[in-house]
Amino acid sequence: MENKWDLLESSNEDREKIWTKNRTFAGDVWFRFRKKPTAIAGFVIIVLLIAFALAGPLFTSYNYSVQNLEVVNIPPIMKVYESPDEKGYLYITQSIKVVYVEKDGTLGSQLKKVRDVAKENITIYDCNGQEVALYYEQKPYLLADPESKIVYNIKHIWNKSFILGTDSLGRDILTRLMYGTRVSLLVAFVAALVNMVIGIIYGGIAGYLGGIVDSVMMRIVDIISTIPLTLYVILIMVLLGTGLKSIIVALGSVYWVDMARVVRGQTLSLKEQEFVVAAKTIGSSTRTILKQHIIPNAMGSILVTVTMLIPSAIFIEAFLGYLGIGLQPPLASLGTMCNDATENLRSCPFQLFIPALAICIIMFAFNFVGDGLRDALDPKLKK
Amino acid sequence: MVKYFAKRFAMMLIALFMIVLITFVIMHSIPGGPFTSDRKVSEDVEKALNEKYNLDAPLYEQFFEYIGNLLKGDMGPSFKYTGKSVNDFIANGFPVSAKLGGITIIFVLIAAIPMGILAAIKNGRWQDMTVMAVATIGVTIPSFVIASVLIYTFSFRLDWLPTYGLDTWKGYILPVVALGGYSLSYLARLMRSSLLEVMGQDYIRTARAKGLTELKVITKHALRNALIPVITVLGPTVAGLMTGSFVIEKIFAIPGLGVHFVNSVSQRDYTTIMGVTVFYATFLLAMVFIVDIFYCLIDPRIKFE
Repeated sequence: MENKWDLLESSNEDREKIWTKNRTFAGDVWFRFRKKPTAIAGFVIIVLLIAFALAGPLFTSYNYSVQNLEVVNIPPIMKVYESPDEKGYLYITQSIKVVYVEKDGTLGSQLKKVRDVAKENITIYDCNGQEVALYYEQKPYLLADPESKIVYNIKHIWNKSFILGTDSLGRDILTRLMYGTRVSLLVAFVAALVNMVIGIIYGGIAGYLGGIVDSVMMRIVDIISTIPLTLYVILIMVLLGTGLKSIIVALGSVYWVDMARVVRGQTLSLKEQEFVVAAKTIGSSTRTILKQHIIPNAMGSILVTVTMLIPSAIFIEAFLGYLGIGLQPPLASLGTMCNDATENLRSCPFQLFIPALAICIIMFAFNFVGDGLRDALDPKLKK
Repeated sequence: MVKYFAKRFAMMLIALFMIVLITFVIMHSIPGGPFTSDRKVSEDVEKALNEKYNLDAPLYEQFFEYIGNLLKGDMGPSFKYTGKSVNDFIANGFPVSAKLGGITIIFVLIAAIPMGILAAIKNGRWQDMTVMAVATIGVTIPSFVIASVLIYTFSFRLDWLPTYGLDTWKGYILPVVALGGYSLSYLARLMRSSLLEVMGQDYIRTARAKGLTELKVITKHALRNALIPVITVLGPTVAGLMTGSFVIEKIFAIPGLGVHFVNSVSQRDYTTIMGVTVFYATFLLAMVFIVDIFYCLIDPRIKFE
């Protein structure tokens, strides 16, 4: 056994061993960001949602605006009756028609009506040559053999034609969800970008010039921030009319105030730093100093503010859509889909819960990423 | 201190003036007059109408007349409902919204503050996790989603509570929960983080060192200071809840001010939109101002610039 109390050999090579590669700022942020499981989950969800919204419509055979009144309000899980020949199923639609369903769950054609027997409150349909009777006297309606009056076996099967069902105008909800997510994300990203640009320019100028310009510009910001912003978004929507452009303009023109404050605060402290003084001494213009030195250094806080802004933009868009002053039909957004579904909440809750769930997932994802990014960019904030 | 409040008051008045101005400009730059409709009105009638509502005067003259009327408390007639004034709408709608809002505030305060305290005391344990999970859900999920889920569960499925109206006390439960959900979660989170921060201060260590019980440390020393940030956000919260959420009033068919506002927006009833906006803004600013005064009275550390 060797003596543990001997001096270890000391060589320069060994000292180098504890060195690791230098990490860049972005690498450092990523290192801290990926330690938070919620942040990573949020990030993955956002990537998946973008893929869903952009690439999804390529894979669907339906159009988001074409109505098909024959397949109105069909849920994702259908209650079906086994057809008499046992080769498929039968489904009763809300408009009391009978639709043939294949064994694998795809919807077939409507059955032909043979005759009405008003006396017994039944309608006879023709199913591949055999007669089936629809009893519509009381809910739930039943399908039975007209002779023996034995109700066919009831089963619950997944809807393969419309995976998430159809809405009250017979449009595929999955397709509309893709377009709705696309609109919501588009509104959010564009509004956030517009706010970022306005906020950076406004806050940068106010913070850098300082003095009387700063106080006047910041008083204006103070006044704007006392105005209830939701009201103004609504007023601007009234002025510009409903539509995608108006929503973006309305959100973009109102929500830059926070960003301007953040950028101004950062600029105020950064402009006293040595590297800015150095840039000044070598004669850089104000524009260069702002662009090259101050804004890149303030980027951390700017990014955090932007990720926090995106969910609120999505929220306002959904809110406007829900109130019916957002997008115009037949365009879909998550808010308008919820609004369309409220009338049918009792009979078809899935129509509301699916877009509502999508909104919640988006909001959670962006909030998690925002939290993670804030902790990663500014470790000092952490307790 | 008086000087500080005078300054704040002046700022508030300027902000109010700006709000009226912006609203006025936006409303008057909408193409088409309030009497433009599918039915062609004869020129004489239109002229008479414009004269009656003083719409043919220059814009600045109309603006000063509007301001003058506002100062007298007159918000003008509604353009869509003849014989009704904007004041009528507010007088009808505001008490309903205010009552619902008031109950919601009480509910929010009673629930949020203990939740936040519990989460802070049991920091890191399951109580904390539960409170934070509920609060995160409440902050992120839009109120109309919460309201719809509540209606579906408690009205349609369980049939315990009515879906609309405020006729009985049962009718208040769902709107109050849906309306207060966001504020509740927000305040609970704020209360928790604020109390956690205060618990790390030196004076808490001093209080513990002199042998006070934990209960006394929290109630006497920590809570007072921890409540300050909560009080700051209380102003906008109270104003927001009292004036009513548009969505909640729409879902539960509550005849409050929010519903009037949304209706006037979709019917393009310009004077009503303007009047309600100005009313909302005034109420909000007044609330923030009052809370500011309280805030300064409670916390002597605040310096008056």
